[in-house]
Amino acid sequence: MSEHVSLLALFEDIGPASDGIDKLRALGVTDDQMNVISGIPFPGRVLGRPGARTNVPQIALVGAALGALLGLFLVYGVAYLYPLQVGGQPLYPVPMGFIATFEMTMLGLMAFAFLGLFVDSGFPSYTPKEYVPEISNGKIAVLFACDQNDEKRFADALIKLGAESVARAEARQL
Amino acid sequence: MAVTARPLPHAAGRAEEHEDPREHLMHDPRPRGEMNAMVLESMHTTTWRYWLATGTLFFLVLTCFVYAWYYLIANGLGVAGVNRPVYWGIFLANTVFWIGISHAGTFISAILRVLKVESRRPFTRAAELMTTFGLVQAGASIFMHMGRIWLAYWLFPFPNERALWPDFHSPLMWDFLAINTYVLCSTMYLFLPLIPDIAMVRDHAKGWPKVFYRLLSLGFRGTEGEWKNLHTAMNIFAFAIIPVMFSVHTIVSWDFAMATRPGWSSSVFGPYFVIGALHSGMAAVAIVLFLVRSTMKNMKYFIRPEHFNAIGKLMLMVSMAWAYFYMNDYLVPWYGGDKWEKILQEFTEKGPLWWLWYTMLILNIVVPWAILWRKKWRSTPWLLASVGVLINIGMWIERYVIIPESLTINRMPFTWQIYIPRVEVFLTIGTVSLFLLLYMLASRIIPLVPVWEVQEGQIAHTLRRVGKADLPTLSEIE
Repeated sequence: MSEHVSLLALFEDIGPASDGIDKLRALGVTDDQMNVISGIPFPGRVLGRPGARTNVPQIALVGAALGALLGLFLVYGVAYLYPLQVGGQPLYPVPMGFIATFEMTMLGLMAFAFLGLFVDSGFPSYTPKEYVPEISNGKIAVLFACDQNDEKRFADALIKLGAESVARAEARQL
Repeated sequence: MAVTARPLPHAAGRAEEHEDPREHLMHDPRPRGEMNAMVLESMHTTTWRYWLATGTLFFLVLTCFVYAWYYLIANGLGVAGVNRPVYWGIFLANTVFWIGISHAGTFISAILRVLKVESRRPFTRAAELMTTFGLVQAGASIFMHMGRIWLAYWLFPFPNERALWPDFHSPLMWDFLAINTYVLCSTMYLFLPLIPDIAMVRDHAKGWPKVFYRLLSLGFRGTEGEWKNLHTAMNIFAFAIIPVMFSVHTIVSWDFAMATRPGWSSSVFGPYFVIGALHSGMAAVAIVLFLVRSTMKNMKYFIRPEHFNAIGKLMLMVSMAWAYFYMNDYLVPWYGGDKWEKILQEFTEKGPLWWLWYTMLILNIVVPWAILWRKKWRSTPWLLASVGVLINIGMWIERYVIIPESLTINRMPFTWQIYIPRVEVFLTIGTVSLFLLLYMLASRIIPLVPVWEVQEGQIAHTLRRVGKADLPTLSEIE
């Protein structure tokens, strides 16, 4: 029985990398079975790949809602729990509610966007991963899975399209 | 009737200026590995001048910040110059000043990112760092003003031993919420675009620094999903932090404007404070960029005259806006003719501190208008930085005029007393030194240039032949 292996193809430029992705697809590798690792962000349309999904906006919105509730509690909940009459002002003033609610909403939005990045990307993660340091020097890596019997065929096809190297991807300490 | 077209007059002997697009960073790309090496070299190179400057700043922080603050705490606020009627002195002027400085980071980074102003790319981080370190000084100044800092927790919204919660009717509490929101959000905003650059440093580091950068880079590799999440989070921050930035200085202004006293009770104080913050902040960016460019290796490649030109234009625009808002703030009380407002205005212009008022106007309006209108002068780094220094002196004086000088005059003439700062002077030197020291240290720990953003911009920029000229063209890649 044959096994699947992970290969990492390293490209100098984005053009050959996107050609390589097309070739992999033609050879039967699905989009789910490959990933592109690069030193700068390339939109999916540049790579000819479906756009990556993110849950960060939804998480941020939850944070904004929680922040708004906290702001309302600070202004009105505190006044309810510990009534303190100030300068003839009402105990539950609407204009002041705007200020605390706005600040806490924005804090919730941004704090949860920050946390959302962690949650959705699995940060922090210090386990070994498939990676080569050349990526941060501008190389583009295409990481994909294939049948081990097809390893050479895939490697040859990608080298022909301009890949600098195609090798088994090794999980390494970053 | 025949239509005749007269040719435009040409200045005799003056050739049309042709600018080589390759003078611009975005059109002068280098391989990513080379740019990484340049930034890493700038981080790792420390000359004797660096250590001398760092040592001097460290000494100033120890004496003027740590010891002077200890002296203030040990002896009480009596060693400061604040007293009746000037209860708010230099500490509060410093607080407003440093919050103002912190606004430039957000302005440069977030607004220019949202508007996709490409010249921002190499110096967003340098500006964002100013935000974080400026807010540290602002926070310290508030605590200095507080005197009994061990009771600072009374500001936090939880019941203390007296079961008395903070009063959210007070502008000071709004300020507490706004500044804390701004500190937290701007620090997160600084960290987000830093992650890929820290990962780059991690890939090149050895020994214990590698462990440090490995921890800080969180396991970032640059997969499609990671970039997508990072980009989305950065976009959310860029849009959301702008209104927070405006709200922070507006709320700071309400600390004053909500009081019905001459010089402070003004409905235009909100926007006037915001534009004042941008005025000093933009000027501070010019100073920092000049220092980074002239003291750190390889930075002349990343920070070029074009960037000083761009900042210079912003400084000129903001200076004009500041002058407009200042006139707004001046004219209405002058026209209204309120007795106490009139006395305060006369005191400001003709009293013993008249020179402060004129210096403020000259440094904030005359100097930038006289120098920044000309591209050649704007693009000269040392000249723009010098204008930046003068504007910052002018803006600090503005805060001094608004706070302690305005407090000198009130509706009880028998209390009038000119404020003479004492330990505050040392603490002011201390906060400036701490700001610079933090910046010096950070410049050797994190990359001050966001290399990945520069490379992203260089890929998006190309030259397109139109007629006889190669014109810069920008592709939408983000």
